[in-house]
Amino acid sequence: MKLLEYEAKSLLNSAGIPVPASVVISKQYGPEITLPVVFKSQVPTGGRGKLGGIIIVEDSSVVTPTIDALFALKIKGFLPTHLLAEEKLAIASEFYLCVMIDQPSCQIRLVAHRNGGVEVEDNEASSFLHISLSKDNSEATGQQLAEYYDLPGQTFALQDMTERLYDCFVKNDATLIEINPLVLTDDKRLVAGDCKMELDDSARYRHDWTFEDKPIDANFVTLNQLGDVATIANGAGLAMATVDAATDHGLNVANFLDIGGGANTESLLIAFRRIGDYPNVKAIVINIFAGITRCDEVAKAIIAAKQQIADLPPLCIRLAGTNFEAASELLQKEGITILGTLEECLIAAKKEVTS
Amino acid sequence: MNQSLFTAKNVIVQGITGSHGQFQTKAMLAAGTSVIAGTSPGKAGQSVDGVPVYDSIAAIQGDFTVDTSVMFVPAAFAKGAILEAITARVPLIICITEGVPIHDMLQIKKRLEGSGSVLIGPNSPGLIMPDVNKLGIIPAAMALPGHTAIVSRSGTLTYETMAGLTDKGIGQRYVIGIGGDRIRGTGFIECLALFESDPEVDRIVLIGEIGGTDEHVAADYIKSSVTKPVFAYIAGHHAPVGVQLGHAGAILGSIDESAASKTQKLKDAGAQVATSITGLIELISKK
Repeated sequence: MKLLEYEAKSLLNSAGIPVPASVVISKQYGPEITLPVVFKSQVPTGGRGKLGGIIIVEDSSVVTPTIDALFALKIKGFLPTHLLAEEKLAIASEFYLCVMIDQPSCQIRLVAHRNGGVEVEDNEASSFLHISLSKDNSEATGQQLAEYYDLPGQTFALQDMTERLYDCFVKNDATLIEINPLVLTDDKRLVAGDCKMELDDSARYRHDWTFEDKPIDANFVTLNQLGDVATIANGAGLAMATVDAATDHGLNVANFLDIGGGANTESLLIAFRRIGDYPNVKAIVINIFAGITRCDEVAKAIIAAKQQIADLPPLCIRLAGTNFEAASELLQKEGITILGTLEECLIAAKKEVTS
Repeated sequence: MNQSLFTAKNVIVQGITGSHGQFQTKAMLAAGTSVIAGTSPGKAGQSVDGVPVYDSIAAIQGDFTVDTSVMFVPAAFAKGAILEAITARVPLIICITEGVPIHDMLQIKKRLEGSGSVLIGPNSPGLIMPDVNKLGIIPAAMALPGHTAIVSRSGTLTYETMAGLTDKGIGQRYVIGIGGDRIRGTGFIECLALFESDPEVDRIVLIGEIGGTDEHVAADYIKSSVTKPVFAYIAGHHAPVGVQLGHAGAILGSIDESAASKTQKLKDAGAQVATSITGLIELISKK
């Protein structure tokens, strides 16, 4: 789960990592603003600064119009539900500081650069400082960072910050905490200017997370609003393979959908309704290969969902795996055909599209 | 990792009394797997399809030697169950459980180092050696004994490839799903080494996905150390590009993680590549 800036900063603040003084504004809640102020649109995407999502205001007469304008400004398709109003920092210099999970080494890693800011990835890859973090070895990181950033006076502040960052990372089941820029102010404070944070959805059960629902669903993605074929598959790999094969067959695929192991009537109904929003879809390819899923349960779900939605486009269904025979029997009774292979489904779908 | 690891006889199921545990124990028994016992804390004395249930692996080890554990415990208890199996020195641990937190896996990886246990998974369908052993949830009815070895990151694509080959009369020696999580036990390299060393294997099928760098590493290994023919497909040629947040991906991921880049890298390493699973099956059956 990717957090919005204000959510990420509230976790940093709880961990004792300095963040700018701020208030969060919603459409229902407009607190008093101290000037000068930086208004920042809270959208779940990067690059908002260049798209007008960050506005500095020094004059009280433009506060309200600025807030209204930001709430109305769509950034890469997203409208904010919140704005962050922050103190305007007096910036002496900007650094990059990030904690992430390095997959190849299976370690928690700190990555830093002395040139922070939006163009940070333009720096030579070899010029970044990498340090493996663990509970036991974080004592020397303050020294290393201070030398690398050339901030000799900040050794202890940086040591404290990295220890707190590591704790924050582990305690919150984070997979990424990126502070960019890490600001050194004119009065020599180190403050997290912006923060991107990702938490591990799998760990949700052991946390009391109340973050905003983001309009991003990794399991259902629109590829082409005007596509002529929709796809439903189980497992991310099979779902991607289904899209790949359909595209290879010259079909124009509207969406990618992985319904996972829990293919039930409810999840299929939601899927069918979302697919119903595409104006040109003439066939739905359903490709289920059941291991832990059971085909008979998927068959029951298809039958129930089909009964509840009248104007469903033709279904090209391929089922295989666990309890296939039972599923085949159930569907046959309802007059629904199962095709033997994905290939046959795609040929059937192609016929629907071209007819 | 050698072949004897997968053919050892004394298999247990951790989490045997849950719905998946019960269902899949039955399926493994039906496929001829020697499931000798299961665990479920607090349920010692019960049985599942005639398989005795114990409270812990240590309790089973009072009666039997344990060669392999196949695990169906809920994600919240997976860390505990895997650590229990490592502590009990179980040589092969197969974790089917999906949704194990990544920080739990970081701890488990540390404990695995030098432990003598091999972990496959989590979020893995396990493996099958047709007519020899079924360890996990790969449907046995779709398998055919033979000489092709499959390794895949995706569970459902593993089945799809296996079924496609079986359809064409091409049998399999190994079908291994290593699991789709970012931090996992066994990777491509260990499986490729096993396939290369087993004289019963005459060709290798590798199925990858967009994201991560495992396929790049596998391509390097194929180039340097694999002499048998390799066929490969990377899922996600037309997949949506994830909404990038932050710069960390661009900085660390200086390697291109797209399907096209991975496919090219595998091709350069000498593998024969396809852009869809149907294309992959065609490619293999022509040779």
